[in-house]
Amino acid sequence: MQAHRPGDPRKRVELLSKALSELADPPIKVMEVCGTHTVSIFRQGLRTLLPAKISLVSGPGCPVCVTSQGEIDAALSLASREDTTIATYGDMLRVPGTGTTLAEERSRGADVRVITSADEALSLAMNDRTRSVVFLAVGFETTAPATASVVLDAWREGLDNFMVLDLHKSVPPALGALASDPDVNLDAFLLPGHVSVITGLATYRFLPERFGIACAVAGFEAEGIMMALVEVARQIRMKRPRVASLYSRAVRPQGNVAARNVMDRVFTLGDAPWRGLGVIPSSGFFLRKEFARFDAVERLGVAVKETPPPVGCRCGEVLKGLIDPPFCDLFGRSCTPAHPVGPCMVSTEGSCAAYYRFQKRGYLDWKD
Amino acid sequence: MRGLLSFPEEGVPGLERLSIGHGAGGSLTQELIDQITDRFDGSPLADGEDCAILPGGFAVTIDGYTVSPLSFEGGDIGKLSVCGSVNDLSVRGAKPLYLALGVIAEEGFPVRELLGYMESAAAVCRSLGIELVTGDSKVVPRGQVDGLFLSTCCLGRMVREDPLGAVNLRPGDAVILTCPPGLHGATIAAHRYGLKARGLSSDCAALWPMLESILPVSGLRCMRDCTRGGLATVLCEWSERAGLGIEIDESLIPWDEAALSVCDLLGFEPLHMAGEGCAAVAVEEGEAQRTVTLLKGYSLGERASVIGRVTKEHPGLVGIRTHSGGTRLVDRPVGELLPRIC
Repeated sequence: MQAHRPGDPRKRVELLSKALSELADPPIKVMEVCGTHTVSIFRQGLRTLLPAKISLVSGPGCPVCVTSQGEIDAALSLASREDTTIATYGDMLRVPGTGTTLAEERSRGADVRVITSADEALSLAMNDRTRSVVFLAVGFETTAPATASVVLDAWREGLDNFMVLDLHKSVPPALGALASDPDVNLDAFLLPGHVSVITGLATYRFLPERFGIACAVAGFEAEGIMMALVEVARQIRMKRPRVASLYSRAVRPQGNVAARNVMDRVFTLGDAPWRGLGVIPSSGFFLRKEFARFDAVERLGVAVKETPPPVGCRCGEVLKGLIDPPFCDLFGRSCTPAHPVGPCMVSTEGSCAAYYRFQKRGYLDWKD
Repeated sequence: MRGLLSFPEEGVPGLERLSIGHGAGGSLTQELIDQITDRFDGSPLADGEDCAILPGGFAVTIDGYTVSPLSFEGGDIGKLSVCGSVNDLSVRGAKPLYLALGVIAEEGFPVRELLGYMESAAAVCRSLGIELVTGDSKVVPRGQVDGLFLSTCCLGRMVREDPLGAVNLRPGDAVILTCPPGLHGATIAAHRYGLKARGLSSDCAALWPMLESILPVSGLRCMRDCTRGGLATVLCEWSERAGLGIEIDESLIPWDEAALSVCDLLGFEPLHMAGEGCAAVAVEEGEAQRTVTLLKGYSLGERASVIGRVTKEHPGLVGIRTHSGGTRLVDRPVGELLPRIC
């Protein structure tokens, strides 16, 4: 929700929408990659202002949503250990694994703590050395540097009771997988804002160069998102796809080099399972050998198994932008935010949850 | 409450134990309340308002208080425990008169701190002429409660003859908000997640006598304090109960910038955040300005504003026109408000 600025924001957004309408000829299909964008677009009611020629689909940029069923089950099996404290970001609490959730395990007595930063997880371990603390490290380039940094801290401190269930993933390889999937068929990406702060712009260049896909990094306010849409529509119209940034106050072209160095020191890229997208080469941040003693999978012997998603759940197709959430038979029936079946209905950033919350029963019949 | 209650036979599949979400004021809470009241035929809870109106013109309410931290910017659990019950009476047009107070404290809790909270509670009673008439105290072994739980039951007398309630809503009615939404919730969230928000303070306060001043307005339809579940929950309940639509305008809401920043950082919906001295008021359109003027006569209501209206269109749904001019639904929170990942 942005603060009031001088001038009439409604007028400015209306003008941008008009520009978009003129540029988008023929119609274009744009994927907003990032879950924060998805929610922002819904919360600001932007879908009601977009010309019909813009088809906006949500992508795989909600960290909880792309976490595979097997990874969630691994987290749950850790939570069932008596001597173990689980430190997790709040979004993970209600994601259904096979048969249970972390919230449910907590209500049965498991020690599950909601934290807002990796530092807090480390503090839990430092303050009570009698318990093992496992940090559920979920997220993209946004949260991975903080995980890397606390692993380095724990290593320097010689901490023995701190571990990480490392589920971090990298966004650009997933975009590559989508771009090369003939079913997906996108004209443009709205690139994520926060991830790009870390990665910079160069990492996305292969998208216009190899696949001819227009790209723009967008901020999160209504005008920022609309301007990014105008930018990709213009690139497509001129047939000159490139990587543009409309979020220059936060994203530097080279990204955050210091953060990437910390990540490089701690992680190495490997093949990782994404819900709906399958295993994507070099898309997971894995702890390097020398940090293996902080790896919960190695230390505690949990296995990340391949587990099929719940029957009927189409989160996978939603995450690839192949269907809008209401086309899933479970949507709004057996799968609601109160009783979710798939992760896209749980996470605040999941596109099913956003559709349900903000647009479940169609657009409002709004009279001025 | 962990594990004390379970409803296996009608339990939601796989969720037969209480979760924190069942106490968060959203749809899970409603499901639980419905399951409880089902066992009490003809319960007055069925009218879904903040307090019950008894024969003889009395009104009564009860509430439990379990805030963490116990003391926060703008108030503490003592003040909160009286204001909360006073407000539940005030919004139905009942003057608060008598208070019953229950104290459950943990072994080892400092006596001086407890008495400090009792002094805060007493101060609110003194200022409103409320008499403490009965009470109960329990001390339980360490670890069985988190410091201190209070519960208050407040009895009052109806000032207005015709009862206020969502069933009175009519298309065209104006919706007024008495202060910025979500101040208490944002203050507590900032504490809990270690954020420093300069200038942010809970709105914890008694809505009486401010709301008393608008009781003579003849077109007054209903009032609710926007506590657990926030403004969004109040409006959703109104629209569902009245079978009418409600439309609000984001640019008319008297936002608090500090509360918005906290919500933005944690990924919380500001309309879901609780207030503890903030009421939504619905009034016939022609009397909206007069009502706002009356509210603005109190420091608690100095930012009172008309934020929207009741409509015939989209019955049962609440819509918001956003800053950018788009529209969307306003929903209730589902369960525990959880901070997002990034």
